[in-house]
Amino acid sequence: MSRLPRAATRRLAFLAPAALAVAVGLALLGQGLWIPTKAALAQVLLERAFDRSVATGRPVKPWPWADTWPVARITFPRLHRAVIVLDGASGQALAFGPGHVAGTPNAGDRGTAVYAAHRDTHFALLAQVKPGDEIDVERIDGGHARFRVAGAQVVRWDASGVDPHAPGHTLALATCWPLAARTHGPLRYLVWARSIGERTPRA
Amino acid sequence: MTASAIGASRLSRPPGLMLFLAVLTAFLFGPRSFAAEPGDVTSGALMMRARGGDQVVEAVRLGTDIDMVVSGLTVRTRVTQAFRNDTKHWVEAVYVYPLPDDGGVDTLKMVVGDKVIIGEIKKKAEAQAIYDAAKAQGKKAALVEQGRPNMFTNAVANLGPGETVLVQIEYQAPVTVSGGDYSLRVPLVVAPRYTSPGAAPAPDAHAPLADPRVQGKINPVTITVHLRAGFALAGVSSATHALDVRDERGGKRITLAQGEAPADRDFVLTWRPAPLAAPAVALFHERVAGGDYVLAQVTPPIARRTAAPAARDIVFVIDNSGSMGGESMRQAKASLDYGLAHLKPGDRFNVVRFDDSLTVLFPTVVAADAAHVAKARTFVAGLDADGGTEMIPAMAAALKDSPANDAGRLRQVVFLTDGAIGDEQGLFDTISAQRGRSRVFMVGIGSAPNTYLMSRAAELGRGTFTHIGSTDAVEGAMRQLFDKLENPVATNLTVTFDGTNADLAPAVLPDLYRGEPITVAAKVGAMKGALRISGMIDGKPWETRIPLADAEAGTGISKLWARRKVTDAEVARSLAQITEDEADARVLKLGLDHQLVTSQTSLVAVDKTPSRPAGTPLTRADLPLNLPAGWDFDVLFQGVRHPGADGQADADAETEVAGLDLPQTATDGPLLVMLGLGLLALGGLLGAGGWVLSDRRTAA
Repeated sequence: MSRLPRAATRRLAFLAPAALAVAVGLALLGQGLWIPTKAALAQVLLERAFDRSVATGRPVKPWPWADTWPVARITFPRLHRAVIVLDGASGQALAFGPGHVAGTPNAGDRGTAVYAAHRDTHFALLAQVKPGDEIDVERIDGGHARFRVAGAQVVRWDASGVDPHAPGHTLALATCWPLAARTHGPLRYLVWARSIGERTPRA
Repeated sequence: MTASAIGASRLSRPPGLMLFLAVLTAFLFGPRSFAAEPGDVTSGALMMRARGGDQVVEAVRLGTDIDMVVSGLTVRTRVTQAFRNDTKHWVEAVYVYPLPDDGGVDTLKMVVGDKVIIGEIKKKAEAQAIYDAAKAQGKKAALVEQGRPNMFTNAVANLGPGETVLVQIEYQAPVTVSGGDYSLRVPLVVAPRYTSPGAAPAPDAHAPLADPRVQGKINPVTITVHLRAGFALAGVSSATHALDVRDERGGKRITLAQGEAPADRDFVLTWRPAPLAAPAVALFHERVAGGDYVLAQVTPPIARRTAAPAARDIVFVIDNSGSMGGESMRQAKASLDYGLAHLKPGDRFNVVRFDDSLTVLFPTVVAADAAHVAKARTFVAGLDADGGTEMIPAMAAALKDSPANDAGRLRQVVFLTDGAIGDEQGLFDTISAQRGRSRVFMVGIGSAPNTYLMSRAAELGRGTFTHIGSTDAVEGAMRQLFDKLENPVATNLTVTFDGTNADLAPAVLPDLYRGEPITVAAKVGAMKGALRISGMIDGKPWETRIPLADAEAGTGISKLWARRKVTDAEVARSLAQITEDEADARVLKLGLDHQLVTSQTSLVAVDKTPSRPAGTPLTRADLPLNLPAGWDFDVLFQGVRHPGADGQADADAETEVAGLDLPQTATDGPLLVMLGLGLLALGGLLGAGGWVLSDRRTAA
């Protein structure tokens, strides 16, 4: 009988940190998994808000306390994927969907439209986008612009070379580089696409 | 951790992708493009685009001469630039020029190939029609339009290979006065080069580009400033260039010490009045086309406060909506914390935070004692960016004044936000209607706050707009703001004319802080009587009178006045005080009367080439302008090709690429999952190990 408590004490020396590690591990895992889950769930609500925006012709907030609203749907026909884009590219907006970078035109308008999203959620698919792929953008004003991917490049975030007022109708999709890294860095991956007709009718 | 994560990513990256990216990057960086309305063009640049192609090259700049005449408070600048199309193609050329704030272009002369073109101010639509007609007839023509204020572009079609373009523009701008220093700035830096986004290689992709290293050498700038300050000078200096200052009739003649300089940085000239020569009052007069115009500048005698400052009630408002997430929120919190930490005994304060909801920390303003300040700092530290941006209720709450016992106290609202709201007009209306005795100080947070909203709101709230661009800048900017908040101000300033009628610009004067001068331009009925400026300084009435007869002769005042009237009209338009049509009509009349490029008037360039037999080369006599000293007509127009100008694209150009800042686009998700899994495995191992070990010992 006297040995059992000693064994238990010895076990406790291992089990206590083990339990702590498991608890913290579970918490982090939960938090880590919640990010993509939230990103995916939000898209369902955003999809709904986007459809209503198109129907009403006015921005519709996806949930009442949101600080942003859907502005466009980007479709990648070859990958059979679509994402709803939000107004603004604050960290808050990017948690729920790609953001339309402020100060750039809407896709299809003159200039370079820039949309950014997280490499590990909505724009993870940029790894599969190839030159020649089509990218379609539907806007809430009913406009519809089609683009063809011209190429991609890696740039620093503060030396992107993106000129929002450049001539032509250009689309740039931005996410963090390297795509598979786990820490934040200064590099960004830019996918360039050029308009292939179907000028957007202005609503 | 970092190293291993990056190592892992290298391994996991598909090898083909690297090659693909390398090729694409090389190809994308090859051609450079430009924008017809570029935000970052900081110097006159001539861009050329081959017909039918997207490839754009910057024309080789052969030289730039800048000649400025400072008359008291105005600067007349004449910029002459020569460019050459060193490509082998016929190109479309676009000339872009940025102007200082409040600068107004009134003159444009161009020599394009063997054609001479002189711009004339016309109504915008009329100018367009003239241009279209000339183009249809196959003539060379040019149209100058104002895209945005302070930036104009001018396109010329059909510039032949080897042809030279000579451009001369003239503009009028005010001198900058701050803290007793007078200064002017000339933008000289060449625009950053842009990559051509996704441009497919056009057939003529190998058009020669100007090699920046060569261009540096062949792009010399000469600057001459004729300085007639209107007062005894204590010193003339430039923080950017070595100067050669000589006396000349009526003032100083300032040139660059080396004669010419490469255009690699802006030119800034600063001059300072001799002690006591400092004019508390300056008055200039110009008579143009039968009208009398005066420009007055008065620095109100605001002393640095020596006694204890007037007691203040400060309401801090902080935007913690979702758009403030990340860096912006950190800046806002640091700024507000600075403000709270610098409250003085006797001050009272309150804190309001808002997103789509609103919290007012204390029911009413409270004394800035240790307990209240500590509570507020804890409250601020705990804020997170989330939710929508309902700014108007927050502004209304901040402006809500307690009715009693506040006489003699200053009431100041410090409003920190990125200004990301849609209903700007609603906010302006709220401030106008409810500002009472409060002064609203807008603090713009983040790299791209809505400066229009901020500056207009501050103007309506009779405060100032402070921009904080980075967390490092918080302290400096907030110290400056608090210096303004603590020192007396000149308020309720009005300018009147005794003995004559006058049309003033600006119509409403802002409050002034220490060291800031009032500058007012006016069109007067007659040069008699006096100008009277009155207001309140630190609660005491102040007034000064300047007889108009004392005015010194100045130049360019009418244009400066007109430029300000245009600004007034644009402001009234944005505040919906006048209709769109009325604003357009006012701007149009000012533009036509004073020969200014505005949103309603354009310079249309008409081919003025004297008829001479086809093929006869241009002669010096054909030039509509005087070539700057040292410029050789023959070298310029008979074309000595610069060796190296045909060089290949310079790979170093990549380092000049700036452009739009891209947001942070990676979540902590994968990292958290990895750490979580790691800890779970560790826990599992520890648990199992402990169990096994203790079992063994128990058995033994």
